[in-house]
Amino acid sequence: MALPGKLSFSKFPEGGLILAIIVLGLVLAIFGGSVQRPKFEIRDGQRQRAIEVTQEGLKIPASTTVNKFFNAQTLIQIAKDTSFFAIMAIGMTIVIITGGIDLSVGAVYALSAVCGALVLNHYGSSGGLGAVFIGVLVTVGVGTLCGFLNGAMIVAFNVHPFIITLGTMAIYRGIAFVQTSGQSIGDFPEIFRDFVRHEYFGGLSLVPLMVMIIVMVIGGIFLSKMAIGRKVYAIGGNEIASRFSGIRVGRVKILVYTLSGLSAGIAATLSLGYYGAGSSGDGSGYELNVIAAAVVGGASLIGGKGTALGALLGAVILQVISNGLVILNIPQNYSQIVIGVVVIAAVLLDQLNARLAERRLLAKTGRIKKEVLESSEAPASATQETK
Amino acid sequence: MIRRFAVTGFLSLVAAAGFAADKTLVFGVVAKSNNNPVFQAAKTGAEDEAKKLNTEKKANIQIDWRTPNEEDPQKQADAIEQLVNNGAAGIAVSCSDANKLTDAINKAVDNGIPVVCFDSDAPKSKRLANFGTDDVDCGHKTMSELAKVMNNKGVVAILAGNQNAPNLQKRVQGVKEEAKKYPDIKILDAYYHKETPQDAAAKVEQVMQAHPEITGWAMIGGWPLFTDNALKFAPGTVKVVAVDALPAQLGYLRDGHVQVLLAQQVYEWGTTSVDLLYNKVVENKSPPSSFVKGELIPITKANVEEFAKNWEKWLPKK
Repeated sequence: MALPGKLSFSKFPEGGLILAIIVLGLVLAIFGGSVQRPKFEIRDGQRQRAIEVTQEGLKIPASTTVNKFFNAQTLIQIAKDTSFFAIMAIGMTIVIITGGIDLSVGAVYALSAVCGALVLNHYGSSGGLGAVFIGVLVTVGVGTLCGFLNGAMIVAFNVHPFIITLGTMAIYRGIAFVQTSGQSIGDFPEIFRDFVRHEYFGGLSLVPLMVMIIVMVIGGIFLSKMAIGRKVYAIGGNEIASRFSGIRVGRVKILVYTLSGLSAGIAATLSLGYYGAGSSGDGSGYELNVIAAAVVGGASLIGGKGTALGALLGAVILQVISNGLVILNIPQNYSQIVIGVVVIAAVLLDQLNARLAERRLLAKTGRIKKEVLESSEAPASATQETK
Repeated sequence: MIRRFAVTGFLSLVAAAGFAADKTLVFGVVAKSNNNPVFQAAKTGAEDEAKKLNTEKKANIQIDWRTPNEEDPQKQADAIEQLVNNGAAGIAVSCSDANKLTDAINKAVDNGIPVVCFDSDAPKSKRLANFGTDDVDCGHKTMSELAKVMNNKGVVAILAGNQNAPNLQKRVQGVKEEAKKYPDIKILDAYYHKETPQDAAAKVEQVMQAHPEITGWAMIGGWPLFTDNALKFAPGTVKVVAVDALPAQLGYLRDGHVQVLLAQQVYEWGTTSVDLLYNKVVENKSPPSSFVKGELIPITKANVEEFAKNWEKWLPKK
């Protein structure tokens, strides 16, 4: 993650993703057009629509023209929409690095949300800090427990994670449905909702964005600075070799699925706070978006590759594309097609990059070999000339 | 130097784009899902009404259809926020989850954008109005139509969907209230089930086997009729009245399994929503009541072919 010396995209693993986001942003800023937003002012202690007087003396509601993409509200909204997927994508990336997959992440998100919602609803809108603490603990705890169960079953039964998490996807969502009978659970402590939805600088909800960044930083430290993180990469690189080198593969695998569940629990907590309700239908199909974000972010499905920052940037790219279609007035039915194309393109680019890196490495090895040979021949010929 | 030119050029383009605002009135429509034909009818209705107003009143309305492919209230809330950020003049929404959409609706209204609900309301929100079915009335009408085809006598079962859905509870209440007017009609019970065609069809079969004395079904939703061969009894032996008249349901009318379908005004969900928004945004007129009642249209064997032609117009051409 660190950038040694001068900033260089070629040396920075996520440079390509950042470049892609900048290009997308430029396209949307230039071709997205503009929009008129109403102006507000505080009058008599209340937020009211500002009034301006025209040249003809008419009083009309004031508005301001802003670029459709390049404005604080839209950018923060994209960040907020991204945050739920990005947080789960970071957990998913850690799983994918080990060569695994977690198809149950959307269902874990739903079950965590439903359990948290039931607790928060129990205390109602007047619930205090204690109620919020218990609600958040339950939401995050259920997610973590679900993840732990996934990991434990994968290790204990030695079954491919695809099968186990496919099964738990149905089980967790089924439990959520049974708990709620398919109904939405709302009416949470106001203090919780106010905190998550709190608007800074005149209408910007920054809490989901901040949580996403914190999760990314912690995920980055876990993967790149801690010994356990290196073990995660080692298992993805070669599981048998890791086992023989003394890594307790089973424990690491249980940990990574637990972290994936934890990330789903955190995302569910934010969702409860922001949207104000939980239901068994929450997060349906999100597993595909989360896996897509991880893959676009550079995680390799065969394991051994991926970063927390990459997962976040992958989620940002998908969200910018999704919002970009709205900004460019392209019918949203195309969004799934575009996202599918982007995922395939990302994997192909990744493969191309891997092949180029392999060639560069071979060329470099060849050059070194040649130099070594030349240097070993040079003294011999020099000795002959002297003779 | 090049970098400076690039930055200046970019800022100039952004500024130029910023001053190119047009005067189009964009009405965002956020239905529950693209997979349900009733919302495709609503989309056609909204677009037709926009064209009509553009022609008749020289308005410049554009419909921005922002409906998730599958039901997802979180995506609906995000879509409303996107529409607000993109300068929509008004928004119509059918709420998959009123709890989750209330804040997004309120935020839009606080930003000066009127919101109307159709089909499914968010009653605690600041929405301008709700256009939809009166559920108690729907129950009354279902039972009165069933009583007619049963010659005011027999044993009736109610197919009731999800027992926790407040709108369905009201429909059941309406059926039971109306049944009291017919002394020779006995209500056996209300039977609840998961709202999928398969579960609903299985429930009908199960109840029919347990209670062969049933002579009429009041289906307050058309769930089992969304699949083929859902009703195992011979046509006409048991009378059926069901809510909704989707293309899949019409076959049951034609073959005599179902006597009456009560069609909700799904096309009008679009037309009326656009009208309500236009009146508020352009003419600053609010409806007299925040509930705008949609009628239920009885479809029988006599008018089924005529009604079926509507779906040809409402659904997108294949």
